[in-house]
Amino acid sequence: MADFNIRSDSVNVEEIMQQIRARIREKRGVDYTEQEIRDLAAVKLEKFLDPSKVRSDLLEQYRQLQRDQANPYLDIDEDLFGSPRPWVGKVRRLLRPLLKLFVNPGPLMRAARLESVCHAQWEEERRQLQQLQLFYELIHNMVVETTRLGIEVKNLKMRVESLSDRLDFDERRARALEGTVQYRPAATPAPAGAEATGPRDEEGGAAAESAVSKSRRRRRRRGRRGQGGTTEQTPAQAAGSGESGAHAGPRIEGEAGPAATPEANRDERPGASPEGEIQPREAGHGPDTGPGSQEPGT
Amino acid sequence: MKLAIVVQRYGPDINGGAELHARYVAEHLARHADVCVLTTCARDYVTWRNELPAGTDRVNGIQISRFPVARPRSPHAFARHSDRVFEQPHSIADELAWLDAEGPATPALVRHLKARQHEYDYFIFFSYRYYHAYHGIRAVASKALLVPTAERDPAIGLGLFPPIFRGARAIMYNSPEERAMIRSVAANQGVPGVVVGIGSEVPDRLSPERFRRKFRLHSRFAIYVGRIDENKGCRELFEFFQRYAARTPGDLTLALVGTSILPVPPHPRIRHLGFVSDQDKFDAMAAADVLIMPSFYESLSMVALEAWALGRPVLANGRCDVLRGQCLRSNAGLYYENYDEFAAALLRLGEDRDLAAALGANGREFFCRHYSWPVIEGKYLDMLQRLQDEDADADRRKAGGGRRNGAREEGRGERLPGWFARRRRTLPPAREVMEALPQGPAVSRESRVASRE
Repeated sequence: MADFNIRSDSVNVEEIMQQIRARIREKRGVDYTEQEIRDLAAVKLEKFLDPSKVRSDLLEQYRQLQRDQANPYLDIDEDLFGSPRPWVGKVRRLLRPLLKLFVNPGPLMRAARLESVCHAQWEEERRQLQQLQLFYELIHNMVVETTRLGIEVKNLKMRVESLSDRLDFDERRARALEGTVQYRPAATPAPAGAEATGPRDEEGGAAAESAVSKSRRRRRRRGRRGQGGTTEQTPAQAAGSGESGAHAGPRIEGEAGPAATPEANRDERPGASPEGEIQPREAGHGPDTGPGSQEPGT
Repeated sequence: MKLAIVVQRYGPDINGGAELHARYVAEHLARHADVCVLTTCARDYVTWRNELPAGTDRVNGIQISRFPVARPRSPHAFARHSDRVFEQPHSIADELAWLDAEGPATPALVRHLKARQHEYDYFIFFSYRYYHAYHGIRAVASKALLVPTAERDPAIGLGLFPPIFRGARAIMYNSPEERAMIRSVAANQGVPGVVVGIGSEVPDRLSPERFRRKFRLHSRFAIYVGRIDENKGCRELFEFFQRYAARTPGDLTLALVGTSILPVPPHPRIRHLGFVSDQDKFDAMAAADVLIMPSFYESLSMVALEAWALGRPVLANGRCDVLRGQCLRSNAGLYYENYDEFAAALLRLGEDRDLAAALGANGREFFCRHYSWPVIEGKYLDMLQRLQDEDADADRRKAGGGRRNGAREEGRGERLPGWFARRRRTLPPAREVMEALPQGPAVSRESRVASRE
């Protein structure tokens, strides 16, 4: 709602409604209703077929087509002289030469055969037409689904872009915060003795281990630091990692030692302004891209 | 000046829109003229049964003459006639049969008008679509003012009514949209007409807190006032609000005031308060954050005007031209045409208190400027004065042997066609005629500028 910009003393309902509608469009992005998807698909389909003729009983039509294909062609002899009753058929076949004495069934049989062929051709064409209609329907469904998928892909792209923006912002913010966390405590000056012990430890430090009780304590401390410490250390950190370096937590919260040099801290903090604040550009992204900024209910 | 208000029902407990409108007008004009009311004995607008005694009566100081309804309405026959004239090609005779079936059939009232018309200066008829208005205006056309209370329903497309719109002396419209619709269907630009509307009797003292205590409604709420009916858009309102409540956290409740014809869905954020007194109604509106008007058909929303009088914003159904026009002209209400707009507008009104207050302030100003009683009374009196001047002028011309005023007589002599022509089914379905009428709110640039000023 932050981008609505109406002063209460100059309300214009028409403008407000335009803003509301624009915002709805913006929020919906490429999100369409079912009807709109169908309309879009119909527009695409109109280029090559008439969507109004598309049937919805696709499966049933395929089954029917299979059943239709089982229809046999007409058998002239069988149909002319045959009979469902076997003995009648037998008598007819026996009397067939006699029948030929009285009439010439040849033209009749040719006509019947021709009719049979025509019928078969018509059946075949009908079946092809049905198949074509089924293909039309398949194409129609595919276009609808493709449209839907296209829209979904667009939606997902937008979402990925939004998430990646948010991730970038989070990373920048994390870096800025890390900088704050790392450098403010480092301002505490490390004692000279500590500077000397650091390298000695890394090289083996055999001489230092002569004092058993001190060495145990040091090892314990080192162990603790090793578990919780960061791998990347700036020179300032390395300088402050001596025995007297104390703890990182309190320093982070701004409890810097008395000899801390603020100038050094300020110079080395990445992403920090000279005044010790996080860069406004990064800080300003919070409310816009954070998950809480999304309006409920729309 | 003696005026007669002619209306289908009249009484202190009759709260239909046109009837209440007629009562308010009668009571306010009574301060400037001798006003009486001619009406029927009916109380129920569905059956028109004679429930009140015929004869004279007095309501709030106004003299009432009631006439019996000759026959009650048969809903079955009326539905059959409606189907014929609204949906099929039909004849004038079919439309006359429809008008008789609709009622309230009061030939005694029409006879009274004809016989006693010389006793009155002018008759103000309410609701063009009823028997009393059609036959009454035909009987006393030269003295008839019409308050049509026309909505965008199929009755406006019937062939019977354009001669009535052309035949009345003057028309007092409720809204510019109504005027545009009637002019489009009847081409009656020559008939004097003015957009008047109606004021409201808002109590001087309001107590929103008392209402909240009485009805234990302590959260923020949007209110709907009126009959809870599908025709009023309540089904869509319930659907939209339930979706809104499911998706939007918060405590905004929908309070419903009025008699329920449609079942109210059981929902923790929908409260049905039933029929309440006027004081409670106004207290409720004063306590509400926003008034919702979901109706599809209105000639003028009195409830919206009342909300504006109380400085409350309105969220209206934008598919109703009149409501949308009212919102645009007043700059005092938002409107919606689908769920997304409903939710966004309601959220906006709930969250942006400055906007809601500004809309409410605009509404109050709009009400005071156009719908306060001095303004309404002034418009009626101006129109009556204009007609009186025209009559005086016509009488002078007549006395001087000149021609009568053409404007006065224009369209007044339209007779019904003959017996055979009346039965020829040449009229198109009324719904088709209605759908062909121009749509949209009648908001001119001038009116917008004026409303902003």
